[in-house]
Amino acid sequence: MATAAPGRHTAEPPSCHTAELSAVGRMAGSGEPAMMRAEPMPARLRQGGEMADIDVEGLVKRYGDVAAVDGLSFTVERGEVFGMLGPNGAGKTTTLEIIEGLRVPDAGAVQVLGTDVLAHPETVKERIGVQLQATALPPFTKVREAVELFAALYRRARPVAEVIEEFNLGEKADAFTDKLSGGQMQRLSIALALVNDPDLVFLDEPTTGLDPQARLNIWTVIEGIRQRGKTVVLTTHYMEEAERLCDRVAVIDRGRIVALDTPPRLIAEHAPGTTIEFALVPGLDAETLRTLPGVERVVADGRVSVTTRTPEAVLHALLDPHAPWAAGVDVDGGAGGGGSGAGGGAIRDLMVRHGTLEDVFLSLTGRSLRE
Amino acid sequence: MSSFRAFRAMAVNEVRASVRNRTALIFTLGLAVLFMVIFGLLFGGSGLAVSFDAVNNDGTAASAAYLKALGDVSGVSLHTKSHASAFADLKDDSITAVLVIPSGFGAAYAGQGPPQQVGIYQAGGGSSSTAIADAVVANVTAGFAGRGHPSLTLSSPKVAEVNQVTEMDYMLPSMIAYIILFSGVNYVAIGLVEKRVTHVLRRFRATPVSSRTVLAAQVVGGGLTVLLQILVLVLLGTWVFGARNYGNWLLLIPPIVLGTASFVGIGFLITSVSRTSESARALAAMVTFPLMFLSGLFFPISSLPTVVQTIARILPLAWASDALHQVMNDGAGFSSITTDCLVMAVWAVVTIAVASWRFRWD
Repeated sequence: MATAAPGRHTAEPPSCHTAELSAVGRMAGSGEPAMMRAEPMPARLRQGGEMADIDVEGLVKRYGDVAAVDGLSFTVERGEVFGMLGPNGAGKTTTLEIIEGLRVPDAGAVQVLGTDVLAHPETVKERIGVQLQATALPPFTKVREAVELFAALYRRARPVAEVIEEFNLGEKADAFTDKLSGGQMQRLSIALALVNDPDLVFLDEPTTGLDPQARLNIWTVIEGIRQRGKTVVLTTHYMEEAERLCDRVAVIDRGRIVALDTPPRLIAEHAPGTTIEFALVPGLDAETLRTLPGVERVVADGRVSVTTRTPEAVLHALLDPHAPWAAGVDVDGGAGGGGSGAGGGAIRDLMVRHGTLEDVFLSLTGRSLRE
Repeated sequence: MSSFRAFRAMAVNEVRASVRNRTALIFTLGLAVLFMVIFGLLFGGSGLAVSFDAVNNDGTAASAAYLKALGDVSGVSLHTKSHASAFADLKDDSITAVLVIPSGFGAAYAGQGPPQQVGIYQAGGGSSSTAIADAVVANVTAGFAGRGHPSLTLSSPKVAEVNQVTEMDYMLPSMIAYIILFSGVNYVAIGLVEKRVTHVLRRFRATPVSSRTVLAAQVVGGGLTVLLQILVLVLLGTWVFGARNYGNWLLLIPPIVLGTASFVGIGFLITSVSRTSESARALAAMVTFPLMFLSGLFFPISSLPTVVQTIARILPLAWASDALHQVMNDGAGFSSITTDCLVMAVWAVVTIAVASWRFRWD
């Protein structure tokens, strides 16, 4: 096993991190993590109940001298949506393909649904659903025919009409697959991954290249899959996708897991506090900002970004009408720091936001997710 | 059981996709039909396009009647000429053959002299029109000799069991061989490379189907597509172009199946050394086009230089073409095409075995 492997990340039970998500019917979390373990969903529990759906140990895959996957270990619990977040080339797809039985690792062990994938790939493939990154279907095939074809490849399959209906493909059932829009194609691709009613579904970048509308649609689809009690593993390089959909996220960089936790905990640990952003103002430089009470970090390159755990105090100081950089602000007039006053700068283009997974990635690797 | 269901679904999808692929159909069935149309226009509707010069050394009423009977055969043009000018016509290729009526023809016909032989001279090369000339003369001669004088034998040098093979009759088995060649290589083998390059195979691999099932479905699906095209071609060829089959239709099955299998195998070999579908296409064209011209599809192999003949006889298309022509044009039985079938079977087994061994999902 690779000695460089990061410490094994123990499985956290699925937990809910936002009220919004429980509102869309998330089955996996409506209470404390401890509650989840105490009262698991019986429908999706196999005997034992404690066994992870995926158990990856010390995974290594090299291409020449480059280790695409460099000692990954993690578990995915039944019923959770597990995200793998990282930039292109981080090793997400390779890891996924090893777990799916499409690639053979150079080192490591993979148990999927209690079966050793390397020893019995066919057994595993019967019970998983896979959506590959590049959607690939046989040529000159219509939507219904594609669903029928894939249904015939499994011992157990759901009725074709039901699958078409569920993924809202009824209107396009007699269209050739190459005539579908990006979003329709992706829905078909996910439908094919679910045609065998799998216990575990892999989605490799399900929304890459889609417009915002189609992306939202796919998110709803994925939430529906979760509602039906499936375990979902998805890769993405969109932090908002990981934040919205995933119970836990593994942040992956250069073939390693640099952090693994629920999105709120990742943010709390690696991107705590609030970020206040605004346009650079004459008379207010980074040095001055660092002297303000409560300011923890200041990044200034055209736009200033101030990180703090006491945003109220920092904002109060920044917007102080008597501050040297606020000259010309007409406080009494109530314009509220519009900054249009002639005599000098004031705070403009103000934005206050909480930390995101993007900040987590930045803080862990020093690089941006999308570059 | 479930793997048969998977195999059937994939094979059906393959046939359906191939039939829908119009571009590919144009290059196989479309071109085959076009070749038949071109040859049909070139050689006329009757299929008989032969012209004779006759040298009449006899000059009796009997020989005049004989020549008239020959000239009355539709599609035959006949002119009586001097010996020198008749052979001059033959030399510059403006006629198919020269007939020489011996001087004792009339006496022999009347039963008063020794049997005589009508001489038939051709320029050599053995194209199908000379075979037609032979056949026409043989028929007329036999009919003429038999009329009221069963004891009289008049024979032409190349009577033989030659059927009256028209250009269409010759083209139909040629075009069957053409479809076998191009569909086997293009549909099955290049189809597989395209599925590999576009990651369709990868997607199948994420399901429980085995590589054997995928490969078998590709071969059988492609094979069925070949059979469908041949069926259409044969129907068009016989009904529209008037081509005839002198043999047993069922005997066409072994050379068609084995020929297809051997080209599928060769196609797989091509694809196993090609990384991209473009390079596979280029390599396939380099193999198929020379094969098409070297294997007796448009003219007999015997007219080629010996070295080229030797090469052509190693490759399976010449054997497929030979078997199909023998059955359809000569009415040959299975014993005559056993060797052809054996050679194709060896090609098929070896190439497909190597291809399965070298199979890559991606």
